[in-house]
Amino acid sequence: MTLVTLLLAIAWAGTGYRYEPYVEAPPALSGDVPANDRSLKPLASRLARRTRDLNARLKATAPRGVYIVIDQTQNRLYLKRNDETLLQAVCSAGSGMVLKESGGKKREWVFDSPRGRFEVLSMLRNPVWRKPDWAFVEESQPIPKNPTERLDYGSLGEYALYFGNGYMIHGTLYERLLGRAVSHGCIRVGHDDLREVWAHANVGTPIFIY
Amino acid sequence: MVAVGVLAAACTRAPTTQKSTDLRAEVARLQRTSALLQRQIDLADEKEFYLVIDPAGSEVSLMLRGAQLQRYPVLGLQIGHPRVSWVGRHDPRPWQGTTWLNGKLDPPRQIDRLVIQAAPPGKDVAEPEPAVIPPTAEELYPVPTRYHIRFAGGLSLEIRPREADANAGRWARLWASWSAKWRDVASAVLARDRDAVRLRMAMNPKDAESLYRSLPPAVRLIVLAGRPDAPADSK
Repeated sequence: MTLVTLLLAIAWAGTGYRYEPYVEAPPALSGDVPANDRSLKPLASRLARRTRDLNARLKATAPRGVYIVIDQTQNRLYLKRNDETLLQAVCSAGSGMVLKESGGKKREWVFDSPRGRFEVLSMLRNPVWRKPDWAFVEESQPIPKNPTERLDYGSLGEYALYFGNGYMIHGTLYERLLGRAVSHGCIRVGHDDLREVWAHANVGTPIFIY
Repeated sequence: MVAVGVLAAACTRAPTTQKSTDLRAEVARLQRTSALLQRQIDLADEKEFYLVIDPAGSEVSLMLRGAQLQRYPVLGLQIGHPRVSWVGRHDPRPWQGTTWLNGKLDPPRQIDRLVIQAAPPGKDVAEPEPAVIPPTAEELYPVPTRYHIRFAGGLSLEIRPREADANAGRWARLWASWSAKWRDVASAVLARDRDAVRLRMAMNPKDAESLYRSLPPAVRLIVLAGRPDAPADSK
């Protein structure tokens, strides 16, 4: 009995994962490699050229100039130029809240910020918010038939950078809530930081949201 | 006399052999580098987020479309292989330079969505509810002291903040290591749960927490080898 327990304990101790420090394995030749050295030289030259080309192609995939990165979980906005970070700002991304309509069409909205790569499509100074249906449903107000009743002045701050599907980077009246996920999917930024973003961005500036 | 002749022949052959070996090593290095570059270009062409681990640069980067979104320094990297009763269960498939898909956090990040049923329009709301200040990401998403990012096909990243257990008491540390051992035993024994290979990364606690909170779903991964940006010219 004791022996069985001992053997089991030994087996248990040797079960799991064995960790070793990372040591890089030397590269191994692959594919058809000529046996004689004469043919090896042209192959090495071809490979060197291909590697140079691929390096250039890989570098070309990275955004050039100014771009915006948004960490929507931690509510941070980074304004970058090549490898340099020009600005790190606190922002507010989508709350993730679900809003359900009681009457009418019984619609449902999820207030998430989108993930992926976008571009600034238009830049608006003193933007006017054209309130969508959910803004009225959320406040238990009837949805207006007159489009002018949807217009809301001042709530988006001084500037807005529109990047599609109703989403914008814009200002906020609630700066004390920056750093918390409270928006309906847009990215809210504080007054001074928004000015900085506005000053560097252009139509076509890439926006990466993760 | 014969010995002198053999020695002289060996001396003349040695540089040629050495040169040939160097050339073969260079071809192998270039083959690996170009394959890695091609895979990174392929990843940058896709719409999915991906992680790039660069052991030589001691960092892991979160990328999308060729843009480095965030970079996290790696303080230590270890490779783990499963074993059962001291017998290694090495998976012969290459893991370095391979594109790994569908990475998921384990334990997953919990998302509690607040669902609001709007009152019908025109109906008087009895009393406006007091404004609640929502929690920050730090309050919302507690980060486990160690966690995994598991990829389809069997590669797993084990993230361990450096000095994760430093503030815990002796018994808490003992309990953590005991329960981790049992989890590893269960994982190694059950083929269904077994990680073919584990990369254990030690990171600064803040970076480890940030990666856990921000990791997009279904992330991809590539582990680099060598230095792809090293000059590729052969003389």
